[in-house]
Amino acid sequence: MMYMNIEIGNEDVSLLQMSDSFFPTGLYATSSGLEELSQVKKLKSKDIFHYISTYLKQVVGPSDCAALGNAYESCMKKDLTALLNVDESLYSMRLIEETRSASVRSGNQLLKCVSTFIKDKKMLKDYQNAISTGNATGIYPVSFGVACWSLGIQKNKAGLMLLYGFTVSIIGAALRLGIIQHFDGQKIIHELRPVILKSVLENIDRAISNIWQFAPGLDILQMKHEAMSSKMFIT
Amino acid sequence: MAPVRIPRVGIGGPVGSGKTMLIEQIVPILSTKGYKVAIISNDVISKEDAERMRQNLATEKGLLPEELVIGVATGGCPHTAVREDPSINLSVVEELESKYNFLDLIFIESGGDNITTTFSPALADYFIYIIDVTGGDKYPRKRGLGIENCDLLVINKIDIAPYVGADLKIMERDAKIVRSNKPTVFVNSKTGKGVDLVVSHIIKEVLFDASPKTPVKN
Repeated sequence: MMYMNIEIGNEDVSLLQMSDSFFPTGLYATSSGLEELSQVKKLKSKDIFHYISTYLKQVVGPSDCAALGNAYESCMKKDLTALLNVDESLYSMRLIEETRSASVRSGNQLLKCVSTFIKDKKMLKDYQNAISTGNATGIYPVSFGVACWSLGIQKNKAGLMLLYGFTVSIIGAALRLGIIQHFDGQKIIHELRPVILKSVLENIDRAISNIWQFAPGLDILQMKHEAMSSKMFIT
Repeated sequence: MAPVRIPRVGIGGPVGSGKTMLIEQIVPILSTKGYKVAIISNDVISKEDAERMRQNLATEKGLLPEELVIGVATGGCPHTAVREDPSINLSVVEELESKYNFLDLIFIESGGDNITTTFSPALADYFIYIIDVTGGDKYPRKRGLGIENCDLLVINKIDIAPYVGADLKIMERDAKIVRSNKPTVFVNSKTGKGVDLVVSHIIKEVLFDASPKTPVKN
């Protein structure tokens, strides 16, 4: 009988843990504006693909993924000042209040959870201290980068997990909003693989001075969502 | 200095069982005694309950500042938001603790859900589950995590029990059996009947008879 030689380690288990929607960060309550769009437009499966794709290319890739990469590098270099700069830069780029606060809340809870089982990483502790003293926000992609570094997960894989998690959160929202069915969701995730991969590879090493985002239509949707009188999702 | 932890009471129950109205009856009684509270309202589809409480308790009655009634959307997962992933609620609680250290109590109302709702002990120190008589007197013996595990079971709308054929004695008997003698209180949240007993349980079992943090001015 032949056995494949597959090396697996703790990092792989941590990778599964952190990319599991069961990990408690509250992301299941976000739709990233999809709830608002679904109120004004009858959406189909292909619309969800394009919606997520646009987000990945125009927002999550060049800003969130790039910030994660910079946060990770700052941890590698034990450079808290650089880490706080990444935190501040990304926070400043979150234009809409409800997305800003949701991201900060999720990031803070993520760090609190991880710090219950990771005790020996000074950068993790220092970042949390900076948050508690008001010198950092703990915004989600930065916290995610710090957490993944603390768990020994490779930077590229951390980027993949961030974008995959974002994708799944919108697919989950689309399912609960009744836009798509469960098989559709998995098909869209499958079809988005090259977009996710390309976004990570293009942005994970982007310098903090070059991070950007440009999706005015999505920003307006988020703003309109903020003003909705009746809503199921936080964003 | 780390924020002081403020005791938290979770209130859960099916849609329409009277969670919001129970809170609207509890808060004025606590307020009269000098206790300062905040309310977090989780809702499945809207911020309606939070808006209603803000209107009734803050704007009109002036019992608490408007910013202390907070609505939290749960993405269609009200049970998740108070049990397996209470991250967002915990964040809101922690923000309240850091900004309003004078608070004596925080109420966390779950969105209406089924009878398996429970609160994470990390989120709520005390769990009140509320049902009403319209489901019939079989409700307590149907069990469910909420009914069985809560610290206090509240049975609401007792005034209409005769009209829906619900025998309160049967409900009381069955509640005792399935809850191993943990307390059950019968109320009419519309009139406030029985709510003082709920408040007594809260003061005794959550606040341990502590006086309000801010002394009442005479």
